Amino acid sequence: MSLDNRPQYSGGCQCGAVRFRVEGALGEASVCHCRMCQKASGNFYLPLVSARQAKLTWTRGEPKRFRSSNHASRGFCAECGTPLTYEAPDGVALAIGAFDDPSGIAPVIQWGIEAKLPYVDEIPSLPGEDTMADVDAAAFLADLVSYQHPDHDTEEWPPEAKR
Amino acid sequence: MSKAVTGGCQCGAVRYSVAELHDNAHLCHCRMCQKAVGNLFAALIGASKSKVSWTRGEPSVFRSSEHVERGFCEKCGTPLFYNYLSSERINLTIGSLDHPERVKPKGHDGIEGRMPWFSELATLQDYGETEAGDSAEWAAAIKRTSRQHPDHDTEEWPPAAHQTESKP
Repeated sequence: MSLDNRPQYSGGCQCGAVRFRVEGALGEASVCHCRMCQKASGNFYLPLVSARQAKLTWTRGEPKRFRSSNHASRGFCAECGTPLTYEAPDGVALAIGAFDDPSGIAPVIQWGIEAKLPYVDEIPSLPGEDTMADVDAAAFLADLVSYQHPDHDTEEWPPEAKR
Repeated sequence: MSKAVTGGCQCGAVRYSVAELHDNAHLCHCRMCQKAVGNLFAALIGASKSKVSWTRGEPSVFRSSEHVERGFCEKCGTPLFYNYLSSERINLTIGSLDHPERVKPKGHDGIEGRMPWFSELATLQDYGETEAGDSAEWAAAIKRTSRQHPDHDTEEWPPAAHQTESKP
Protein backbone atom coordinates (compact mmCIF):
# COMPACT_ATOMS: atom_id res chain seq x y z
CA MET A 1 0.00 0.00 0.00
CA SER A 2 1.13 3.53 -0.66
CA LEU A 3 0.87 6.37 1.85
CA ASP A 4 -2.59 7.31 0.63
CA ASN A 5 -3.68 3.71 1.02
CA ARG A 6 -3.69 2.82 -2.63
CA PRO A 7 -2.47 -0.66 -3.50
CA GLN A 8 0.95 -0.68 -5.11
CA TYR A 9 2.63 -3.35 -7.21
CA SER A 10 6.02 -3.71 -8.85
CA GLY A 11 7.48 -6.03 -11.43
CA GLY A 12 9.69 -6.34 -14.46
CA CYS A 13 11.52 -8.63 -16.81
CA GLN A 14 13.95 -11.39 -15.94
CA CYS A 15 17.12 -9.37 -16.53
CA GLY A 16 15.82 -6.20 -14.85
CA ALA A 17 16.37 -3.83 -17.79
CA VAL A 18 12.63 -3.05 -17.73
CA ARG A 19 10.80 -2.41 -14.44
CA PHE A 20 7.28 -1.15 -13.76
CA ARG A 21 5.14 0.11 -10.91
CA VAL A 22 1.36 0.08 -10.65
CA GLU A 23 -0.45 2.39 -8.24
CA GLY A 24 -4.13 1.76 -7.70
CA ALA A 25 -6.40 -1.22 -8.09
CA LEU A 26 -5.71 -3.82 -10.75
CA GLY A 27 -8.59 -5.09 -12.90
CA GLU A 28 -9.84 -8.63 -13.28
CA ALA A 29 -7.04 -11.16 -13.62
CA SER A 30 -7.46 -13.71 -16.41
CA VAL A 31 -5.76 -16.32 -18.52
CA CYS A 32 -6.17 -16.17 -22.30
CA HIS A 33 -5.93 -19.41 -24.30
CA CYS A 34 -6.27 -17.84 -27.76
CA ARG A 35 -3.60 -18.90 -30.25
CA MET A 36 -2.21 -15.37 -30.48
CA CYS A 37 -1.59 -15.23 -26.73
CA GLN A 38 -0.18 -18.77 -26.79
CA LYS A 39 2.35 -18.05 -29.49
CA ALA A 40 3.25 -14.59 -28.18
CA SER A 41 4.09 -16.13 -24.82
CA GLY A 42 5.43 -19.48 -26.07
CA ASN A 43 3.13 -21.06 -23.54
CA PHE A 44 -0.19 -22.84 -22.97
CA TYR A 45 -1.95 -19.56 -22.15
CA LEU A 46 -1.11 -16.02 -21.17
CA PRO A 47 -2.11 -14.79 -17.69
CA LEU A 48 -2.87 -11.06 -17.80
CA VAL A 49 -4.20 -8.44 -15.45
CA SER A 50 -5.58 -5.07 -16.57
CA ALA A 51 -3.91 -1.92 -15.28
CA ARG A 52 -6.29 0.40 -17.08
CA GLN A 53 -7.87 1.82 -13.91
CA ALA A 54 -4.50 2.25 -12.23
CA LYS A 55 -1.41 4.37 -12.79
CA LEU A 56 1.27 2.40 -14.63
CA THR A 57 4.81 3.77 -14.62
CA TRP A 58 7.86 2.33 -16.37
CA THR A 59 10.44 2.93 -13.66
CA ARG A 60 13.42 1.53 -15.58
CA GLY A 61 13.65 1.20 -19.34
CA GLU A 62 10.61 0.64 -21.54
CA PRO A 63 9.30 -2.45 -23.24
CA LYS A 64 9.92 -2.98 -26.92
CA ARG A 65 6.63 -3.62 -28.73
CA PHE A 66 5.45 -5.96 -31.45
CA ARG A 67 2.29 -4.85 -33.22
CA SER A 68 0.52 -8.22 -33.34
CA SER A 69 -2.48 -6.83 -35.26
CA ASN A 70 -3.56 -3.33 -36.20
CA HIS A 71 -5.44 -3.12 -32.89
CA ALA A 72 -3.01 -4.51 -30.35
CA SER A 73 0.66 -4.45 -29.40
CA ARG A 74 2.63 -6.75 -27.15
CA GLY A 75 5.46 -5.41 -25.05
CA PHE A 76 8.56 -7.37 -24.05
CA CYS A 77 12.09 -6.73 -22.83
CA ALA A 78 14.43 -6.27 -25.77
CA GLU A 79 17.36 -7.50 -23.66
CA CYS A 80 15.95 -10.76 -22.24
CA GLY A 81 12.61 -11.33 -24.00
CA THR A 82 10.25 -11.52 -21.01
CA PRO A 83 6.68 -10.85 -22.26
CA LEU A 84 5.35 -7.86 -20.33
CA THR A 85 2.19 -6.35 -21.82
CA TYR A 86 -0.84 -6.74 -24.02
CA GLU A 87 -1.79 -3.24 -25.17
CA ALA A 88 -5.18 -2.54 -26.76
CA PRO A 89 -7.07 0.73 -27.32
CA ASP A 90 -8.91 0.23 -24.02
CA GLY A 91 -5.74 -0.01 -21.97
CA VAL A 92 -2.71 -2.00 -20.95
CA ALA A 93 -2.73 -5.45 -19.40
CA LEU A 94 0.39 -6.75 -17.68
CA ALA A 95 1.76 -10.31 -17.68
CA ILE A 96 1.04 -11.72 -14.23
CA GLY A 97 4.27 -13.74 -14.11
CA ALA A 98 6.29 -10.53 -14.50
CA PHE A 99 5.00 -9.10 -11.20
CA ASP A 100 7.40 -9.40 -8.27
CA ASP A 101 4.63 -11.18 -6.35
CA PRO A 102 2.35 -12.92 -8.81
CA SER A 103 0.85 -15.10 -6.06
CA GLY A 104 -1.39 -12.21 -5.02
CA ILE A 105 -2.94 -11.91 -8.49
CA ALA A 106 -5.04 -15.02 -8.95
CA PRO A 107 -6.86 -15.25 -12.28
CA VAL A 108 -10.66 -15.37 -12.02
CA ILE A 109 -11.70 -15.87 -15.65
CA GLN A 110 -10.56 -17.63 -18.82
CA TRP A 111 -10.73 -16.26 -22.35
CA GLY A 112 -10.13 -17.71 -25.81
CA ILE A 113 -11.18 -21.23 -24.95
CA GLU A 114 -11.55 -22.19 -28.62
CA ALA A 115 -7.78 -22.72 -28.56
CA LYS A 116 -7.57 -24.23 -25.09
CA LEU A 117 -5.14 -27.13 -25.32
CA PRO A 118 -6.79 -30.50 -24.83
CA TYR A 119 -4.55 -31.48 -21.87
CA VAL A 120 -4.54 -28.20 -19.97
CA ASP A 121 -7.20 -29.09 -17.42
CA GLU A 122 -5.32 -32.26 -16.46
CA ILE A 123 -2.09 -30.44 -15.65
CA PRO A 124 -2.70 -29.89 -11.91
CA SER A 125 -2.94 -33.66 -11.43
CA LEU A 126 0.50 -34.38 -12.93
CA PRO A 127 3.34 -35.49 -10.61
CA GLY A 128 5.52 -32.62 -9.33
CA GLU A 129 9.02 -32.09 -7.94
CA ASP A 130 10.97 -29.31 -6.25
CA THR A 131 13.81 -27.82 -8.30
CA MET A 132 16.31 -29.16 -5.75
CA ALA A 133 14.81 -32.66 -5.85
CA ASP A 134 16.30 -33.40 -9.24
CA VAL A 135 19.39 -35.38 -8.27
CA ASP A 136 20.82 -35.25 -11.79
CA ALA A 137 20.82 -31.48 -11.62
CA ALA A 138 22.19 -31.16 -8.07
CA ALA A 139 25.74 -30.23 -9.10
CA PHE A 140 24.42 -27.71 -11.58
CA LEU A 141 22.15 -26.12 -8.99
CA ALA A 142 24.73 -26.14 -6.20
CA ASP A 143 26.96 -23.52 -7.83
CA LEU A 144 24.29 -21.73 -9.84
CA VAL A 145 24.73 -17.97 -9.83
CA SER A 146 21.52 -16.34 -10.99
CA TYR A 147 21.62 -13.23 -13.19
CA GLN A 148 17.90 -12.73 -12.70
CA HIS A 149 16.83 -9.40 -11.24
CA PRO A 150 15.50 -9.82 -7.68
CA ASP A 151 11.76 -9.60 -7.04
CA HIS A 152 11.94 -6.00 -5.80
CA ASP A 153 13.15 -2.65 -7.12
CA THR A 154 16.88 -1.93 -6.99
CA GLU A 155 18.84 1.32 -7.05
CA GLU A 156 21.24 0.12 -9.68
CA TRP A 157 21.21 -2.78 -12.08
CA PRO A 158 23.05 -4.86 -13.04
CA PRO A 159 25.22 -5.06 -9.91
CA GLU A 160 28.85 -4.15 -10.51
CA ALA A 161 30.01 -7.76 -10.33
CA LYS A 162 27.95 -8.69 -13.37
CA ARG A 163 28.93 -5.82 -15.62
CA MET B 1 4.66 -40.35 -40.08
CA SER B 2 7.67 -38.10 -39.76
CA LYS B 3 8.61 -37.10 -36.25
CA ALA B 4 9.77 -33.70 -37.45
CA VAL B 5 8.00 -30.71 -35.95
CA THR B 6 8.19 -27.00 -36.63
CA GLY B 7 7.68 -23.87 -34.61
CA GLY B 8 8.67 -20.26 -34.15
CA CYS B 9 7.89 -16.91 -32.65
CA GLN B 10 4.71 -14.87 -32.99
CA CYS B 11 5.96 -12.54 -35.72
CA GLY B 12 7.69 -15.31 -37.71
CA ALA B 13 11.15 -13.71 -37.81
CA VAL B 14 12.52 -16.82 -36.08
CA ARG B 15 11.46 -20.32 -37.19
CA TYR B 16 12.84 -23.71 -36.27
CA SER B 17 12.53 -27.33 -37.19
CA VAL B 18 13.18 -30.29 -34.90
CA ALA B 19 13.87 -33.75 -36.30
CA GLU B 20 12.68 -35.44 -33.11
CA LEU B 21 11.40 -34.26 -29.75
CA HIS B 22 12.21 -35.96 -26.49
CA ASP B 23 9.44 -37.45 -24.40
CA ASN B 24 9.87 -35.06 -21.48
CA ALA B 25 7.20 -32.37 -21.89
CA HIS B 26 6.83 -30.61 -18.55
CA LEU B 27 6.01 -27.41 -16.75
CA CYS B 28 8.65 -25.65 -14.69
CA HIS B 29 7.28 -23.39 -11.95
CA CYS B 30 10.63 -22.18 -10.60
CA ARG B 31 10.84 -18.42 -10.19
CA MET B 32 13.48 -18.08 -12.90
CA CYS B 33 11.30 -19.79 -15.49
CA GLN B 34 8.27 -17.79 -14.34
CA LYS B 35 9.94 -14.44 -14.71
CA ALA B 36 11.74 -15.37 -17.93
CA VAL B 37 8.42 -16.06 -19.61
CA GLY B 38 6.23 -13.60 -17.65
CA ASN B 39 3.94 -16.47 -16.84
CA LEU B 40 2.88 -18.86 -14.10
CA PHE B 41 5.31 -21.49 -15.42
CA ALA B 42 7.42 -22.31 -18.46
CA ALA B 43 6.06 -25.17 -20.58
CA LEU B 44 9.04 -26.98 -22.08
CA ILE B 45 9.98 -30.00 -24.18
CA GLY B 46 13.49 -31.23 -24.90
CA ALA B 47 15.32 -32.07 -28.11
CA SER B 48 18.92 -32.94 -28.90
CA LYS B 49 20.69 -29.78 -29.98
CA SER B 50 21.93 -31.65 -33.06
CA LYS B 51 18.31 -32.21 -34.10
CA VAL B 52 17.26 -28.54 -34.01
CA SER B 53 17.67 -26.30 -37.08
CA TRP B 54 16.95 -22.58 -37.14
CA THR B 55 15.24 -22.30 -40.49
CA ARG B 56 14.60 -18.55 -40.46
CA GLY B 57 16.43 -15.94 -38.44
CA GLU B 58 18.27 -16.63 -35.20
CA PRO B 59 17.05 -16.32 -31.64
CA SER B 60 18.47 -13.71 -29.27
CA VAL B 61 19.62 -14.99 -25.90
CA PHE B 62 19.76 -13.80 -22.31
CA ARG B 63 22.30 -15.56 -20.10
CA SER B 64 20.10 -16.01 -17.02
CA SER B 65 22.89 -17.65 -15.01
CA GLU B 66 26.38 -18.97 -15.64
CA HIS B 67 24.92 -22.28 -16.80
CA VAL B 68 21.83 -21.33 -18.76
CA GLU B 69 20.73 -19.09 -21.58
CA ARG B 70 17.18 -18.37 -22.63
CA GLY B 71 16.26 -17.72 -26.23
CA PHE B 72 13.65 -15.31 -27.57
CA CYS B 73 12.78 -13.38 -30.73
CA GLU B 74 14.29 -9.91 -30.66
CA LYS B 75 11.51 -8.60 -32.92
CA CYS B 76 8.43 -9.81 -31.03
CA GLY B 77 9.72 -11.24 -27.74
CA THR B 78 8.30 -14.76 -27.89
CA PRO B 79 10.26 -16.95 -25.44
CA LEU B 80 11.70 -19.85 -27.46
CA PHE B 81 13.95 -22.02 -25.31
CA TYR B 82 15.83 -22.87 -22.14
CA ASN B 83 19.39 -23.93 -22.93
CA TYR B 84 21.48 -25.65 -20.25
CA LEU B 85 24.78 -24.81 -21.93
CA SER B 86 26.77 -27.92 -21.06
CA SER B 87 23.95 -30.30 -21.97
CA GLU B 88 23.43 -31.86 -25.38
CA ARG B 89 19.75 -31.12 -24.89
CA ILE B 90 17.81 -27.90 -25.39
CA ASN B 91 14.29 -27.34 -24.04
CA LEU B 92 11.90 -25.55 -26.39
CA THR B 93 8.80 -23.67 -25.25
CA ILE B 94 5.75 -25.78 -26.05
CA GLY B 95 3.61 -22.77 -26.96
CA SER B 96 6.04 -21.84 -29.74
CA LEU B 97 5.50 -25.18 -31.48
CA ASP B 98 3.13 -24.99 -34.42
CA HIS B 99 1.14 -27.82 -32.82
CA PRO B 100 1.38 -27.63 -29.06
CA GLU B 101 -1.73 -29.79 -28.74
CA ARG B 102 0.34 -32.81 -29.83
CA VAL B 103 2.72 -32.52 -26.88
CA LYS B 104 1.08 -33.52 -23.66
CA PRO B 105 3.04 -32.65 -20.52
CA LYS B 106 4.00 -35.41 -18.09
CA GLY B 107 4.93 -33.61 -14.91
CA HIS B 108 5.80 -30.50 -12.94
CA ASP B 109 9.23 -29.22 -11.97
CA GLY B 110 10.14 -26.41 -9.60
CA ILE B 111 7.00 -26.77 -7.53
CA GLU B 112 8.49 -24.65 -4.74
CA GLY B 113 7.50 -21.71 -6.98
CA ARG B 114 4.07 -23.00 -7.94
CA MET B 115 1.28 -20.46 -7.41
CA PRO B 116 -0.89 -21.40 -4.42
CA TRP B 117 -4.01 -21.26 -6.61
CA PHE B 118 -2.52 -23.09 -9.58
CA SER B 119 -4.74 -26.16 -9.28
CA GLU B 120 -7.88 -23.98 -9.35
CA LEU B 121 -7.21 -22.61 -12.83
CA ALA B 122 -9.08 -25.40 -14.60
CA THR B 123 -12.20 -24.59 -12.61
CA LEU B 124 -12.33 -20.88 -13.45
CA GLN B 125 -15.34 -19.44 -15.10
CA ASP B 126 -15.18 -19.89 -18.82
CA TYR B 127 -15.83 -16.73 -20.84
CA GLY B 128 -16.27 -18.55 -24.09
CA GLU B 129 -14.60 -18.47 -27.43
CA THR B 130 -12.65 -15.49 -28.71
CA GLU B 131 -14.89 -15.07 -31.74
CA ALA B 132 -18.24 -15.42 -29.98
CA GLY B 133 -20.33 -13.27 -27.68
CA ASP B 134 -19.61 -9.65 -26.78
CA SER B 135 -16.11 -9.64 -28.20
CA ALA B 136 -16.98 -11.12 -31.61
CA GLU B 137 -16.53 -7.86 -33.48
CA TRP B 138 -13.23 -7.17 -31.80
CA ALA B 139 -11.99 -10.70 -32.51
CA ALA B 140 -13.00 -10.43 -36.17
CA ALA B 141 -11.09 -7.15 -36.50
CA ILE B 142 -8.00 -8.78 -34.97
CA LYS B 143 -8.28 -11.78 -37.25
CA ARG B 144 -8.45 -9.60 -40.37
CA THR B 145 -5.27 -7.76 -39.46
CA SER B 146 -3.29 -10.30 -37.47
CA ARG B 147 0.46 -10.17 -38.01
CA GLN B 148 0.98 -13.48 -36.28
CA HIS B 149 2.89 -15.96 -38.40
CA PRO B 150 0.69 -18.93 -39.38
CA ASP B 151 1.29 -22.26 -37.64
CA HIS B 152 3.32 -23.70 -40.51
CA ASP B 153 6.43 -22.72 -42.47
CA THR B 154 6.07 -20.08 -45.18
CA GLU B 155 8.17 -19.24 -48.23
CA GLU B 156 8.29 -15.56 -47.47
CA TRP B 157 7.51 -13.52 -44.41
CA PRO B 158 6.12 -11.01 -43.68
CA PRO B 159 3.64 -10.89 -46.56
CA ALA B 160 3.83 -7.78 -48.70
CA ALA B 161 0.60 -6.46 -47.17
CA HIS B 162 2.21 -6.28 -43.74
CA GLN B 163 5.34 -4.60 -44.93
CA THR B 164 3.49 -1.58 -46.22
CA GLU B 165 1.67 -0.90 -42.96
CA SER B 166 3.10 1.73 -40.71
CA LYS B 167 4.94 0.65 -37.63
CA PRO B 168 3.50 1.66 -34.24
